[in-house]
Amino acid sequence: MTYFSDALFSLTILSVLLSLGSNRLMTLVKIMAFQGIVVSLIPFFIEHHNEMTTGSIVFLQVMLLIKGLLIPGFMYAAVKKIKIQWEVEPIIGYHASLFAGLIFILVAAFITDRLQIHISLHEEYVHLLITAFTTLAAGLFLLMARRKAITQVIGYLMMDNGIYLVGTAVAKETHTQHVVEFGVLLDLLVCVMVMGIILHNINSSYDDVDTALLAELKDN
Amino acid sequence: MLEFTTLIPVFAGIIAMFLPVRLGRVVLVVTALLHLQMTILGWMGKLTPSLPGYFAVTPEGILILLVTSFIFLCISVYAVSYMSETEITSEPIYIGCTLFFLGSMSMVALADHLVVLWIAIEATTLMSAPLIFLHRSKTALEATWKYVLICSVGLALALLGCFFIVLSMDIGQIHVPITFSSLSSVATKLDPVWLKAGFIFIVIGYGTKMGLAPMHTWLPDAHSESPSPASALLSGALLNCAFLGVYRGHQLLFQAGLGDYSSNLLIGFGLFSMLIAAVFIYNQTDYKRMLAYSSIENMGIIAFGVGVGGLATYGAMLHLIHHSLLKSSLFLSSGNILLGYGSKLIARTGNMARLMPKTFVAFFAGFVGISGFPPFGIFISKLLIILGAFQMGRHFSISVFIFAIIVIFAGAARLVMKMSFGKYEKDITVDENLMRVVPLYALLLASIILSVWMPDSLYQTILDAISTVGGGV
Repeated sequence: MTYFSDALFSLTILSVLLSLGSNRLMTLVKIMAFQGIVVSLIPFFIEHHNEMTTGSIVFLQVMLLIKGLLIPGFMYAAVKKIKIQWEVEPIIGYHASLFAGLIFILVAAFITDRLQIHISLHEEYVHLLITAFTTLAAGLFLLMARRKAITQVIGYLMMDNGIYLVGTAVAKETHTQHVVEFGVLLDLLVCVMVMGIILHNINSSYDDVDTALLAELKDN
Repeated sequence: MLEFTTLIPVFAGIIAMFLPVRLGRVVLVVTALLHLQMTILGWMGKLTPSLPGYFAVTPEGILILLVTSFIFLCISVYAVSYMSETEITSEPIYIGCTLFFLGSMSMVALADHLVVLWIAIEATTLMSAPLIFLHRSKTALEATWKYVLICSVGLALALLGCFFIVLSMDIGQIHVPITFSSLSSVATKLDPVWLKAGFIFIVIGYGTKMGLAPMHTWLPDAHSESPSPASALLSGALLNCAFLGVYRGHQLLFQAGLGDYSSNLLIGFGLFSMLIAAVFIYNQTDYKRMLAYSSIENMGIIAFGVGVGGLATYGAMLHLIHHSLLKSSLFLSSGNILLGYGSKLIARTGNMARLMPKTFVAFFAGFVGISGFPPFGIFISKLLIILGAFQMGRHFSISVFIFAIIVIFAGAARLVMKMSFGKYEKDITVDENLMRVVPLYALLLASIILSVWMPDSLYQTILDAISTVGGGV
């Protein structure tokens, strides 16, 4: 199983790097769909989660449905609606973003290594935590480094995936306590934001949801 | 069944969405009255939560619930008149969402479970976003977008904080329900490193919602773009609820013997918020933004007071009550001013003392109160915080504190003088009306009364609330 979960971790990191380097919105949405599927599959293939209860299996399927189908579907609709294909003039360029992504991996590995002093983790969890922290940091980065509303939501979604992974990694005994499961409510926020983009575009005449246009409110 | 403070507003909200506007307004005020009654019953101990694993009556929670309930009543009376004066197409949505908002805030005040608290705070975000977008203008859209996005990031980090606290339980080999009340009894056995990490994320997460700098950037936009009753609610009630999240984390750390660490964090964030507010108030051009920055300042003061401990914590709790009363009154007066002058810019207002005398008295009195002059309660609370900080030997931070409040007073006084006595040639568009003046005075009066006469049960509740973080008189 370790072999398979490691493959999933590397696929997640691959999707993170791809999303940092891509500028076509449709591609980004597809990458996020892929990432959503991989991320929601990961708990299936982790050793400690082998004794699965019916409840957790149902929950994992729900996660798969939400992260892999529902949210990407919504985003697909939003991208169709706003009729823009490219992320123009990112605040931080694509090459720099990719480079930042690589640095995140290093930092995540360093942090996870430091954490080992306090808790001795199974090797699999070490890899999972590295993946999780990388995804989390890259999501935050994407949120800040892009101008389009939809790309910011994608950044937020990635951060949310990262948090879900951190939760999976730390929740060894919490399966009776149900904490990680509530991460699904963050997906709800993502849906609300995407809905906002779609609805707003119907209601008004802006043909472009660019957060740079949303810059009238500021202090001098 | 104290959970009815959540359930009744939610049901009323659903009903109000489908009712005609006039009937909806009645539902709003009636629900506010019912909510206040239930809260008072809860305060007296007659009503208790029926789901003990998730909800509990805590002194700080019930205090915040009472404040919320009282100002909600005043605001809803005001809102009825305000809404009929402004042309808002989606008033049923406004009424429904304020009621949902009230329900979610009651849930925050009563939540005992770590995750229930988090869900409730997320619910406040979702329920208040439509209120900010009510005017449907481009700037309102921008404010709502910033609000939802920034607060969602905060919430995500707060959830991470919750994970870390649960992890600290696992490492400490503790098996209790994840409620604050049961965690506090085993706090010393929790793993300190992960507890600290969890607290940082909780402070950043809920601090975003509370408006602590540097995570405050959504706050001035949201407060200035939403209609005035909603701004009053955001500032007077929502910020307290978010503060409750931070406070619960601080309690947990204090009981785990890590009080110094969390205190220093709170003091740092508090002072930084005050300084940021001072910088932005000084040259402000928009009076609602001025009030919003003042909220950031006051949240900073509360965080500072709680962090210092001792007498200052008592001051901070008093400050929380009086800030809610005065600031919601100020935001409601700003609604009258906006109706009268049709602009949020200070340069386009003036001569309020003659044109809108009743609003002027309320606005000016509110300003005097929020700046810390007697007979309003903030005078006492600021004094207690300063004395407490001296007692604790925090000389450097208290000098920063005093510097910030002086700069803020100087900056705001100039602007308020301009609005009150400056030149203004034209006439105002909408006159004052009784329903839009009485709530302002009711809130101010409540602050005056509480500063000269403190009921014993209130005093005792505050003492109970602060005893868990090392506060006391």
